[in-house]
Amino acid sequence: MLSIATSVWKALLLREASTRLMTGRAGWLWLVLEPAAHIVFLMMMFAVVHKRHIAGANVELFVLTGVLGFFLVRNVARRGAEAINANSALFAYRQVKPIDAVLVRGVLEAFLMAVIGVLLLAACAVVGTPIAPHDPLRIAVAAWLLWGLGMGLGLTLSVTGTLVPEIGKVAALAFTPLYFVSAVMFPIGTVAPSLRAYLLANPIVHGLEAIRGGFFANYHSDDRISLTYLFFNTVVIVFAGLVLHARYARRLIAQ
Amino acid sequence: MITLTDVHKRYRGHHASRWILQGVTLEIPTHESVALIGCNGAGKSTLLRLIGGTDEPNRGTVRRTCRVSWPLGLSGNFQGSLSGRQNTKFVCRIHGTNDAMQDRLEFVKAFSELGEAYEDAVNTYSSGMRARLAFAMSMAFDFDMYLVDELTAVGDAAFKRKSQKAFEDKAGRAGLVMVSHSEATLRTFCRSAIWLHEGTVRCFGTVDEALACYKESIDA
Repeated sequence: MLSIATSVWKALLLREASTRLMTGRAGWLWLVLEPAAHIVFLMMMFAVVHKRHIAGANVELFVLTGVLGFFLVRNVARRGAEAINANSALFAYRQVKPIDAVLVRGVLEAFLMAVIGVLLLAACAVVGTPIAPHDPLRIAVAAWLLWGLGMGLGLTLSVTGTLVPEIGKVAALAFTPLYFVSAVMFPIGTVAPSLRAYLLANPIVHGLEAIRGGFFANYHSDDRISLTYLFFNTVVIVFAGLVLHARYARRLIAQ
Repeated sequence: MITLTDVHKRYRGHHASRWILQGVTLEIPTHESVALIGCNGAGKSTLLRLIGGTDEPNRGTVRRTCRVSWPLGLSGNFQGSLSGRQNTKFVCRIHGTNDAMQDRLEFVKAFSELGEAYEDAVNTYSSGMRARLAFAMSMAFDFDMYLVDELTAVGDAAFKRKSQKAFEDKAGRAGLVMVSHSEATLRTFCRSAIWLHEGTVRCFGTVDEALACYKESIDA
């Protein structure tokens, strides 16, 4: 059984990678350019509009961690949510189950984000930004948990969005407002305390702020930032996604 | 051997969920070539998908004790944005054949006679080309039982002869379950027949008997 699953995962991974990287002219280039352009734009905004420093952090790394961390969750969730529709032709082969398509996409996105992250960090180092993290382990754990959160969202949305297409549309829309409340462009420490309590309900905030805390030794965050909170959110949503897949597996492959 | 026991199947729609199959029980021996006959919407493709394990019944069981192919049809099975070769690679990989992959890729290219088009995206193919690719892909594997859904209808005469010969070469080793609206095709490929009517099946020893019953039900 496991050898069948691994064969399917390998085949799907290679298939997904080839469509993701080979489509259009220099498809792989756009993968790096999209977040890079986004980060450069935000840095310019910080330089021009804000005209101030972030306490205990440098702006380049602050923006980079925020954008990449959020994109990790968003891309894994979005690509995972679309995985079933995009691969419906392949469910004719009984080895291939809907959950395989979602899991493989999540792994591929994680791999791509890791490559993009290394490239952009290297670019930062080249222009002279100090990139040595103060607590690498905390960064790694937070990144893993953010990936897990995206995976859980992808698993959940892939089922609900396939069975009820309206949910898929609403979820796709929800990522834009989520971007603004996830502390991508501002440190959570600068938010008014009354509002901060609400923003801290969002597990992505905990992941992003933990990554920044791992990079900068003197970063001013909030004491309530907790990887445990992110961990429990991740576990719950992954479990929900797996349950949905187990329950509705048959209906997902019906044509 | 494929054994179906009391298989029920329905698809949930927005308005109603009609039972397509109601209590289908049958056995198909490994080397048998069976025609699946019935009017449009009788559930032929559904039954084929259940036999192939692409879909699962709502009630009842399907047991396969031999290697059964996926249902070869025109709709689906291919990722349109990928080339014929890449699609073949995918199928080779999910069937766990990494070592002999190069041979199989070349076999499919030669058998399908796609030539240069083998490297083009599948969504540029005509239905005849798709049928050739699907058929060639299945022939690259040694299945005990092939499931064919309206595939032979679109190939040209030369390809039909070729596919028939390929099946005959496999005869004695491989069985066949075939859905087709062409009586001539069914007669050439199949020995026995299953008639699907109002959610249940009737088995016949020859294709002609089944076709006679089927026509009677239409005229009535």
